[in-house]
Amino acid sequence: MAALKEKRTCGQRCEDFGHFVWNSDEGKLMGRTPEKWVYISLYYVAFYAVMTSLFSLAIWTLMYTLDPYTPDYQDRLTSPGVMVWPDTYGEEVIEITYNTSEKASWMKMTKILNEFLEPYNDTKQLECNNYNCTKGKYFLQKHFLGPHHTKYSCPFLQSMLGPCSGFEDPTFGYNCSMPCVIIKMNRIINYLPTNRTDVAPYVNCTVLEEEGNVAKIEYFPENGNMDPSYFPYYGRLAQPSYVNPLVAVRFSLVGGKYAKIQCRVVSEKISYENYHDPYEGKVIFHLKALK
Amino acid sequence: MSKKDTYDMFEMDGDMEKKKKKKKVNKKEKMEGMKKEIDIDDHEITIDELEMRYNTSVTKGLTSTFAAQVFERDGPNELKPPKGTPEYVKFARQLAGGLQCLMWVAACICSIAFGIELAKGNVNCFDNLYLAVVLIAVVVVTGCFGYYQEFKSTNIIASFKNLVPQQAVVIRDGQKNVINAYQLVVGDMVEIKGGDGIPADIRIITSQACKVDNSSLTGESEPQSRTPECTHENPLETKNIAFFSTTCMEGIATGMIISTGDRTIIGRIATLASGVGNEKTPIAIEIEHFVDIIAGLAIFFGFTFFVVAMFIGYAFLEAMIFFMAIVVAYVPEGLLATVTVCLSLTAKRLARKNCVVKNLEAVETLGSTSVICSDKTGTLTQNRMTVAHLWFDNHVHAADTTEDQSGKSFDQSSETWRSLARVATLCNRATFRPDQEGVPIPKRLVVGDASETALLKFTELSVGNVMDYRDRFKKAVEVPFNSTNKFQLSIHELDDPLDLRYLLVMKGAPERILERCSTILIKGQELPLDEQWSEAFQTAYMDLGGLGERVLGFCHLYLSEKEVPRGYRFDADEMNFPTSGLCFAGLISMIDPPRATVPGAVMKCRTAGIRVVMVTGDHPITARAIAANVGIITEGSETVEDIAQRKHIPVEQVNKRDARACVISGGQLKDMSSEELDEALRNHPEMVFARTSPQQKLIIVESCQRLGSIVAVTGDGVNDSPALKKADIGVAMGIAGSDAAKNAADMILLDDNFASIVTGVEQGRLIFDNLKKSIAYTLTKNIPELTPYLIYITCSVPLPLGCITILFIELATDIYPSVSLAYEKAESDIMNLKPRNPRRDRLVNESLAVYSYFQIGAIQSFAGFTDYFAAMAQEGWYPLLCIGLRAHWENVHFQDMQDSYGQEWTFNQRLYQQFTCYTVFFVSIEICQISDVLIRKTRRLSVFTQGFFRNKVLVSAIVFQLLLGNLLCYCPGMPNIFNFMPIRVQWWFIPVPYGILIFVYDEIRKLGVRRHPGSWWDQELYY
Repeated sequence: MAALKEKRTCGQRCEDFGHFVWNSDEGKLMGRTPEKWVYISLYYVAFYAVMTSLFSLAIWTLMYTLDPYTPDYQDRLTSPGVMVWPDTYGEEVIEITYNTSEKASWMKMTKILNEFLEPYNDTKQLECNNYNCTKGKYFLQKHFLGPHHTKYSCPFLQSMLGPCSGFEDPTFGYNCSMPCVIIKMNRIINYLPTNRTDVAPYVNCTVLEEEGNVAKIEYFPENGNMDPSYFPYYGRLAQPSYVNPLVAVRFSLVGGKYAKIQCRVVSEKISYENYHDPYEGKVIFHLKALK
Repeated sequence: MSKKDTYDMFEMDGDMEKKKKKKKVNKKEKMEGMKKEIDIDDHEITIDELEMRYNTSVTKGLTSTFAAQVFERDGPNELKPPKGTPEYVKFARQLAGGLQCLMWVAACICSIAFGIELAKGNVNCFDNLYLAVVLIAVVVVTGCFGYYQEFKSTNIIASFKNLVPQQAVVIRDGQKNVINAYQLVVGDMVEIKGGDGIPADIRIITSQACKVDNSSLTGESEPQSRTPECTHENPLETKNIAFFSTTCMEGIATGMIISTGDRTIIGRIATLASGVGNEKTPIAIEIEHFVDIIAGLAIFFGFTFFVVAMFIGYAFLEAMIFFMAIVVAYVPEGLLATVTVCLSLTAKRLARKNCVVKNLEAVETLGSTSVICSDKTGTLTQNRMTVAHLWFDNHVHAADTTEDQSGKSFDQSSETWRSLARVATLCNRATFRPDQEGVPIPKRLVVGDASETALLKFTELSVGNVMDYRDRFKKAVEVPFNSTNKFQLSIHELDDPLDLRYLLVMKGAPERILERCSTILIKGQELPLDEQWSEAFQTAYMDLGGLGERVLGFCHLYLSEKEVPRGYRFDADEMNFPTSGLCFAGLISMIDPPRATVPGAVMKCRTAGIRVVMVTGDHPITARAIAANVGIITEGSETVEDIAQRKHIPVEQVNKRDARACVISGGQLKDMSSEELDEALRNHPEMVFARTSPQQKLIIVESCQRLGSIVAVTGDGVNDSPALKKADIGVAMGIAGSDAAKNAADMILLDDNFASIVTGVEQGRLIFDNLKKSIAYTLTKNIPELTPYLIYITCSVPLPLGCITILFIELATDIYPSVSLAYEKAESDIMNLKPRNPRRDRLVNESLAVYSYFQIGAIQSFAGFTDYFAAMAQEGWYPLLCIGLRAHWENVHFQDMQDSYGQEWTFNQRLYQQFTCYTVFFVSIEICQISDVLIRKTRRLSVFTQGFFRNKVLVSAIVFQLLLGNLLCYCPGMPNIFNFMPIRVQWWFIPVPYGILIFVYDEIRKLGVRRHPGSWWDQELYY
């Protein structure tokens, strides 16, 4: 007992450890003979092989039960998120800050928008989504009528954004104090923003701070509507070429040329008052134009 | 010889020992000095010299003024209370155990990690801070709990203390005064009389039939006479010193105080006891060993993944944080609480059986005890002289020596018995104290010396109403016992008023009695005492003496009416009556008998592989007799001397290994080196040490410990206190025990029942087994808590299990089940197993850790990941997509991240999905842990044999665990407070097959272990 209680010196500890690593008396390496090591290793190899295969089997079964078109549950996606482009962040919040007199500054913004709008390029859209949708009502498709066992998606053309499409003004207004931002609502499979088909969801932007600095807010397409024909979304596999409908908003900044703005997608089923998710149904950003 | 291996001594290699010795020499020198015998000469010098030395007078005592000066110099005459540990130190000790240190280190690491994160500007990462706070809280809360437990038992013990101040009669300035004993100083003359406590160490100046009870100091059960003559150079042996704290049983004496307070013999022993270091308890050592394993593994894992992380391409600082997180994740936060609660449950259980434990950790110590060094007087015996045997009609009759008179009595029909009983009743000066009608006879208080007391009680029990009986036989004259004629006689009238003869009754040393007898009473007939009867008497006398019993002879004589008519003037000094030619009635022998429960308890200890060694201050013959009586020396065991006698060869030629038993006296022990003592302990399984001083008791305990045993010491006297302190566990008697003994002990038997020790051993062994199970259970989930993080680092999946969730598993849901394992019944008859070998049977051994971590823990991890991937995939994130997803997933600025179906998620939606994963992983661990707690019920037996529902606490623990799990999952508000999400019901069932797998796998393991003991399977998989 006494020996167990003694504080041993480092040397003794090392010696003990050395003895443990290689015990020449019993031919033991780390407490086991090499033969025993082989056995135990084989046992563990077998154990983990069995466990891994069981695990793989479980995952395979899981994948087998999944529907490739729609997820089993959408517990977290009760209401779509909304985001604004250019998506430039400051410390924590979105800050769209640019300097009209500095080309590099506003070129950054236009670059982001151009990249973002790339899939919406008119020619591209007409090529892959060449389907004539009936505007003003949900585009419900029960069957896979599209090519390669898919469903059709409605085209959304860059040109539909009018003055903010970048065609007329490649700077998107960033070389002056009339910047365009683009609002996009996240897509959720089988999600319909309203129960009725006649009222389309639309984007509504309000100025939260410095209201006087915003002279005018214009929406493209008209009224900031998102046409119901873009809903519902049937998933990546069914609609590989689906694009979200966009709404461009043009602000006329005056005075201090700074404002805190909230853009909300208004529709009866889209909630926007979730304290824990600031991007649900709305997006808040700071817009600031420097001289 | 086959019995020889019953006692393992767990020896260690010799060269280790030597190295250790060299180092310890300096430290130990001081202690060794203390262990030397006490050296004073106050008993040897003359009274005149003594008066000179202490500046006093035998007749007038000290002058008051000088006494005041001495008082000033020496301080009060009382034992300094042992330096009580200050309360804050006791509390601090609760915070500084092995596990606690581990938690402190982990908390520090967490704080550092938090600091780094904060410095990096990652304000959202408060997890590390929470973790640090929780770790510290756990340590403090369990510390408070443990402190409270010990505080409670300390209170129970403190209530035993006697608070009545002692008084003493002192002669100062030639006048007698009664003063408080603490005011006495060296040189004071004091008077003592029967019943007084001795107020200090006293040199006897005058005495009249003074006897003192030294049992608490030396262990002698018989009162010792005190006379003014110096009879021995050893102060402990000489008759002219009476010791502080002993009691004067009878007679009166005056004496001079030669030392007071801490300088008394008792004071020195008490100082010796407080100088003896407390040994670490075996469980504390086990926990340290376990912490070593944990820390080693944690650092190994942490370092490995640090390297891996660096290799993958993480920044150094990030890898460092991973390292810290892994190390901290390895800390079993709940284990400290589990261990503390398990130990205090057992402490409570023991308290119900009248064992109070002062230190929680001592609960387990009895379980691993391999040697019990037991004091004799008061511990094994009743500390009360009792008639044990009678010899009459040429037969030895055994009397009932049990405390409650439940034993068998002898045949009382013989005429001789009636005569013997009459002699014993009449020739006795002892009387009962008044007003004790309600008290059972053996417990009544008696005025008189020990053997007369024994005879009085014996006759009261067998004849009945002794006082009346004596009244009927009116006493005419009495000659009290003195050391020259060694007999006591009295002459009585007969109770028959017509018979005018006188009856002379006599008792005394048997050989002196026999000398005076000419006839012997056999079956009521007076026969001439010829050679044959003399020989029979001698044999009986030797036999009874050999049993360590004190033998008295009894005889009587009817004085003839002619020679001694009624009204004859008897003269006690002249003895003008016949004192020879008496009729021998019989012998009565007395002993301090063992307690009734002791032989059974010793037997149980023996079957449990525990060696019981007797260490007593009493004489070798008595010690040996009691040892044989209670089974410490078994029937048929011989000492070296016995063998020599049997074979008629000199003692030196006997092979010492042939002798199982050995009796060593203090005198022999003094001349033995420690190697010789070790040798003796090794060679003789049945040992009795007699006439040992407190210091020698200490040496014996140390020797046992040197041989690798875990030593328990039981005792009641002051002389036991150093050994009690030195022992791995000291067990003191609660009723008979002295305060010094109780202070030094770790455990106190409230009912003085030695058999309670057996209960203690059983509970200690059970808690060791059950702690092993609890720890195995608690450790297992460490792996499923750690692997998510490892996979998170290496495969960059979204984090499957969060820090707060882990804390909930560790400190909320799994605490109750792990504690419930403490209620598990023993798997086998643990009292038939040998004590555990402290060097081999560890609490946590390699196979336990490996089996829990890499097999059961691995299965649990697989269960967790299956459930995790299921929850992710069913919500839209396929497993293959998850891998490598981390950077985007955790990007706070990424609000439209696409899942496998093309749906877009904001950061917070992803975050709640991550919480769902936490919850799912939590549920998986819970389900697997239910299976785990079931398999941990047994280590070897099938759970079906043990019974699923026999442990009710465990069943309720499982129910509790499920309910709490449900509450956490489905209580509103949980997602944002504790990151628990209401998950889909089917995710509770995904881990169930894994739970069944765990159960089946462990049953297979147990089957293999049972079927093939000693096989490779057993070695690798039995923990």
